[in-house]
Amino acid sequence: MSVKNVRSDPSSVKLGFTRFEMDWQGQKLVEQLMQILLVISGVVAVVVGYATESFRTMMLIYAGGVVLTTLITVPNWPFYNLHHLKWLDPSEAEKHPKPQVVVASSKKKFSKK
Amino acid sequence: MGWIGETVDSIKSIKIRQLVTQVVTLGMIVTSALIIWKALMCVTGTESPVVVVLSGSMEPGFKRGDILFLHMTKEPIRAGEIVVFNVDGRDIPIVHRAIKVHERENTGEVDVLTKGDNNDIDDIGLYAEGQFWLHRHHIMGRAIGFLPYVGWVTIIMTEQPIIKYILIGALGLLVITSKD
Amino acid sequence: MHSFGYRANALLTFAVTALAFICAIASFSDKFSNQNPSAEIQILNINRFKKQSHGNDEVSLTLDIAADLQSLFTWNTKQIFVFVAAEYETPKNSLNQVSLWDAIIPVKENAKFRIQISNKYRFIDQGHNLRGKEFNLTLHWHVMPKTGKMFADKIVMSGYSLPDAYR
Repeated sequence: MSVKNVRSDPSSVKLGFTRFEMDWQGQKLVEQLMQILLVISGVVAVVVGYATESFRTMMLIYAGGVVLTTLITVPNWPFYNLHHLKWLDPSEAEKHPKPQVVVASSKKKFSKK
Repeated sequence: MGWIGETVDSIKSIKIRQLVTQVVTLGMIVTSALIIWKALMCVTGTESPVVVVLSGSMEPGFKRGDILFLHMTKEPIRAGEIVVFNVDGRDIPIVHRAIKVHERENTGEVDVLTKGDNNDIDDIGLYAEGQFWLHRHHIMGRAIGFLPYVGWVTIIMTEQPIIKYILIGALGLLVITSKD
Repeated sequence: MHSFGYRANALLTFAVTALAFICAIASFSDKFSNQNPSAEIQILNINRFKKQSHGNDEVSLTLDIAADLQSLFTWNTKQIFVFVAAEYETPKNSLNQVSLWDAIIPVKENAKFRIQISNKYRFIDQGHNLRGKEFNLTLHWHVMPKTGKMFADKIVMSGYSLPDAYR
């Protein structure tokens, strides 16, 4: 894909909030938070609803829980971006040139044996 | 606006193999859904295991847009059961309650009269010309469970087909342009 | 979870799945409720008992129906549909069920009631077998839940009979 990849540009990492991207630790945290929060909302909703004999209460509590979870996990909050990936400095990359691909003919000789 | 550029770029750079993979994946999703539907038909014993309530004739119990789960067993039809039946000549099944049942002694054949809870008169007006009773072969299933509101999606897509086309178009676009 | 859209999609899917679970649990909880409904029906009067022009018997009667269905209401109950049917046997039919009256009970408070009415639906036989016929009166209820499985049951009261001659 010839899409311009912002990640290859180390300078954008410092901004953190740009282009709605989260770092890996943040993504893991978000997934766990999302599941835990929704399950807790569900359990609390059922228990309270059953105890108060009100179906409506259960639905309201669950809806509230979903909204809360949405607010916490969907937007890209700063605390999800605490572990920046350290990209190599460009000068460092020049010191380690990419290995040249060996010419194909030598490989063919090898496989014919 | 960068998003549009990205989309156009990704459409231009589609490779054949990737395209075929995506088409096959889509095909798998559709056929899995079909398999589940057919399996449901087997398990519940009826041609349409799930129906959407279209009219208000069973209110306040079932409102327009609710979904009913159907089940058909060999057990005899009894008064009070909510049955789904097809009338000859009409293609939309009707969900009403059986209010009168007359079962023959030896053959087990049955005459059933139905009525919607919210209607004032029974369903004789809905049956075919000269038909006064429903028989077993008219009845497609009994309603055994229900989910509120979920059927509105189907109603909207049936009554405003344009929305169906928009949805399918959007889905298709999403599949083609997704990077996965 | 790398993009806004992806997270929103994941959240929506999980939330809806959890909602389906919640509804299933709510429906399941109905099994644990204690139910002891009661009912009593009396026939106050046989208003009319005749043979129609095309040969079928028809009866019109006034009933006194008393019932207490309050214990059937749970947090997951939307309404209860109650009806009274006459059940009897004839030589041609092994079972005849004719609904005489029905009503919808929307809330628990209305579930304890006593009414005196004449039959809402016509009591017509398939034939002329009703003279002196003994029949049962059954009170059926259908509980329609807010979500999930519907259940129904009935109370059978026997010992009623129709007069031997037309009136």
